[in-house]
Amino acid sequence: MLEKLSLDGRVAVVTGGAGGLGTAICLSLAKAGADIVVTDFRVEDGEKTAAKVVAAGRKAVLFPADITRSDQVSDTMTKAINQWGKVDILVNCAGIVRGEVPKPFWEISDLEWQRGIDTNLSGAFYCSRIIAKHMVDRQYGKIINIASGFGMRGRRGSFMYNIAKAGVILLTMSLALTLAQNGVRVNAIAPGLFQTLGPKEGYDALAAFIPMRRAGQPSEIGALAVYLASDASDYATGEVFSIDGGALFSGYAPINYVPSIPLNE
Amino acid sequence: MMLEEFSLTDKVALIGGLGQSWQKEMAGYLAEAGAQVALFGQDEEQMSAGVKKAQELGKEAMAIPIDVTSYRQVEKMVQTVLKKWQRIDILVNSFNLPFAKPLVETSPEEWQKVMSANSTPVFICTRAVGKHMLERKEGKVVNITSGLAERGLPNGTVYCASKGAVVQFTRALALEWAQYNVQVNAIALGWMADTVETSKKEWHDSLTRLTPLKRLGQPDDLACALVYLASDASSFVTGSTFCLTGGLMAHG
Repeated sequence: MLEKLSLDGRVAVVTGGAGGLGTAICLSLAKAGADIVVTDFRVEDGEKTAAKVVAAGRKAVLFPADITRSDQVSDTMTKAINQWGKVDILVNCAGIVRGEVPKPFWEISDLEWQRGIDTNLSGAFYCSRIIAKHMVDRQYGKIINIASGFGMRGRRGSFMYNIAKAGVILLTMSLALTLAQNGVRVNAIAPGLFQTLGPKEGYDALAAFIPMRRAGQPSEIGALAVYLASDASDYATGEVFSIDGGALFSGYAPINYVPSIPLNE
Repeated sequence: MMLEEFSLTDKVALIGGLGQSWQKEMAGYLAEAGAQVALFGQDEEQMSAGVKKAQELGKEAMAIPIDVTSYRQVEKMVQTVLKKWQRIDILVNSFNLPFAKPLVETSPEEWQKVMSANSTPVFICTRAVGKHMLERKEGKVVNITSGLAERGLPNGTVYCASKGAVVQFTRALALEWAQYNVQVNAIALGWMADTVETSKKEWHDSLTRLTPLKRLGQPDDLACALVYLASDASSFVTGSTFCLTGGLMAHG
């Protein structure tokens, strides 16, 4: 059964592959055997990711694109399909975690709203629209959307990010049902806090609110992406897989609230 | 190529089963990933088939027949395994007694029976093995449950409650043991072929039609999710329920 976890001979497109979770996912997919098309607007870092994939023994290419521009995304996804003649796996990982300037709700501008939704939701739609058609033509494909625990929970002062991620989860479910009979699986990963920017110290304050008391390392998401990209997960579609050190079901009580209430008698 | 973090080489797995629990298949998956396995429960035929599967894969294995609702017997079983292998890395709880009846016709004894088959052994076994895992500050608990833990079904009230208990047990305990590096997760299965086959053909067909992927589940469908949740690959995953239902959970 375990041979199903192999991605030998597969081609994966990873958006947002230039940094953070995207880079980690590129590397794990490559180690499992896949060749990688990296897309990102950050050209220099994207080239670094591609070089790491090549160093791991797989083929890699970078196609720069601004995920919020439908025309650019369509071109890039078409190029990705043509690069090696097929795309088996699409990972929609592009997004901005800390993109929102803290400000009163009523001062959020149309432009900020639009940008937040475009970056974290519309991009996944634009990419999936092109790639899903190709996958249906081939009657095979795996789409993995990187959502967030915040797509299922509210957060004070956070709007576009949470709302867009909730949209990503529903995109996952509806697209999964739509393509279920075409050999295409669509699932989401809901990461919690990961140390994607800067040193560990920058995460200590937030990590205190995670049940496991730490942020995840980007490399820890790789195996889950491989599982969902592989035929090992063929019976899963439209599902959300959380990887968050226990965060999703905490929050009902302070993290250090450990009550003791014995029964009488 | 399989990522090395999926490997279970040198790990010891306990697999508890009761009823239709796919125990022997799970022994095969974990052994294939490299683990030594001990199967425990009441179904001796199932357990010895699991032992055989693991041994054919070159792994040590044993079957321990016990009553999984007896804390004393489970604790004794844990001591037996520790004596033989000195460690327990993985506990799989897979207890499944199907039951469907109108609530007003269900007796308190039936409620008790379903709860003590589907929910109680998860508590008993996890408590008994957990002590050892907390001491070692390392461990993986995987609870097998049903999508009906999160969805309703007429005549399924008692069954749904018994399976829902397993999911909430998983979430709460994940928080309690998070600081001890013991991860607690669940796998929720959809309509499984071997369970549905016992019902009328028209039910079989309509459940197949309803499932978005147009087929019923097989034990092999959970193989790699089980290995993932049992291995170091899932080091930051806890309190999570992996639904393998053929798309049923996405339905409105």
